[in-house]
Amino acid sequence: MATDSIPTLAIPGTVLGPTSKYAPGPGTHIYGGNVVSSLLGNVSVTAPAKAPGPAKRLNKITAPTAEELSTISVARRGRKREVLPDVGNIVLARVVRLMPKQAIVVIQQVGSTVLQTEWQGVIRVQDVRATEQDKVKIHESFKPGDIVRAQVISLGDQANYYLSTAANELGVIMATSDAGNDMVPISWKEFRDPETGVSEPRKVAKPS
Amino acid sequence: MADRRRINGPGGSTLPPVYDETESDAASLRQRAPDAIRPLYLKTGVTPSASGSAYLEIEPREGKHGSGMKLACTVHGPRSLPRSAPFSPYMVLSTHVKFAPFATKQRRGYLRDSSEKDLSTLLETALRGAMIADRWPKSGVDVVVTIIEGESTRQDAVERRVEEWDAMNVLGGCITVASAAIADAGIDCVDTVSGGVAALVADKNGGELSMVLDPVALEHESVLAACCVAYLPNRDEVTNLWFKGQLPSTGTHNYQTLVAKAVQASRGVHGLISASLSEVIENSQG
Repeated sequence: MATDSIPTLAIPGTVLGPTSKYAPGPGTHIYGGNVVSSLLGNVSVTAPAKAPGPAKRLNKITAPTAEELSTISVARRGRKREVLPDVGNIVLARVVRLMPKQAIVVIQQVGSTVLQTEWQGVIRVQDVRATEQDKVKIHESFKPGDIVRAQVISLGDQANYYLSTAANELGVIMATSDAGNDMVPISWKEFRDPETGVSEPRKVAKPS
Repeated sequence: MADRRRINGPGGSTLPPVYDETESDAASLRQRAPDAIRPLYLKTGVTPSASGSAYLEIEPREGKHGSGMKLACTVHGPRSLPRSAPFSPYMVLSTHVKFAPFATKQRRGYLRDSSEKDLSTLLETALRGAMIADRWPKSGVDVVVTIIEGESTRQDAVERRVEEWDAMNVLGGCITVASAAIADAGIDCVDTVSGGVAALVADKNGGELSMVLDPVALEHESVLAACCVAYLPNRDEVTNLWFKGQLPSTGTHNYQTLVAKAVQASRGVHGLISASLSEVIENSQG
């Protein structure tokens, strides 16, 4: 692989290589048949993945990518870059408010990246679980203060991202009881306070 | 005990300060070559609390003070838009240019006046063409440029009314410093935009016309026309163009040449930014 022609440092606008040889990764864009850096940082070239990972849920129509191209990306070392929640991401969010038809949450972590700014999200009653959606009650699924693992299903409106917990591994992962103690999950719909023994209903995430 | 209800003068006798008159007289002629720009100092990451920041200093003439510039830029975001804002699939850019109250000889107010608002609008146009806004849906970015020291801080700048021409240099500096701060913040841009200024000036002896890069209005008898561009060197595109003044209808000095000279100035500035930014990355590796 002829990596010697690629610069190791890039500022926005640095030409990195032709699109016939490289695929654009994060921090780059394509202009005039070349992969061009759009960030300030170090250039890294990753070889094409040999075995494609498990097939993701198809949520957008994309052109098939040429598998044999290596990917150029630009990232600044030692500096966490601000990321945005995107459709399909698994996020961690804190419940702030309950309404009869939806729960308002604040997204705090996307994947494994902790966000600098707080983004508001909403879990609607029909997105809480996959089955018996008409019997879901928001007040029996979440409580303010719970930490929820959820998937982004839409960028939503001007204020909210739309989230869903309609999968076994999605739902409440941390909850405190009315008495103020941390609770442990005992079934798919219940948490129990180990000190008082009182159980509370939640949409519980499957422990991983 | 002295009377505490009045502002009393000092006890002893004092002399008012007397400044040397010869220096203010020295609005000397341009020493640089017509196609030379002033040296710059650029540093990124000066404000830890901001996502990205940069400081730009344009060096005054040797041994003189009064034609240098100091600018600081902070970039906040990308962050969530306020609740009242309508949905935007793109990044919403807002720019604020503010002179510090002490930046110029004529003291500035604490609120933004109309000339500062104009500069903000021009800066926003210049930056918007360079940013890849659709990578950051539903988010807003604030770019705040503070002019700590403006050009021509001396009294004769006020007397000769050159501040309107200095606004061009200020805009050029704002574009350059904002571009470095945006790169520091890690916001996607198609290119490092840089600002450059060129002017058609008349010199003291005989009023001969010539075109100069990076003009300092005080160094010339009069400025006939000036042009400030925001330029993307790798793409050869201009994102913002500000032209002011009147060109003589006769002669070889036309509009295209002046714009080309301003582009040449911004190419020079771009070389300085890219060297400075590369240095930042190299140092952070060690």
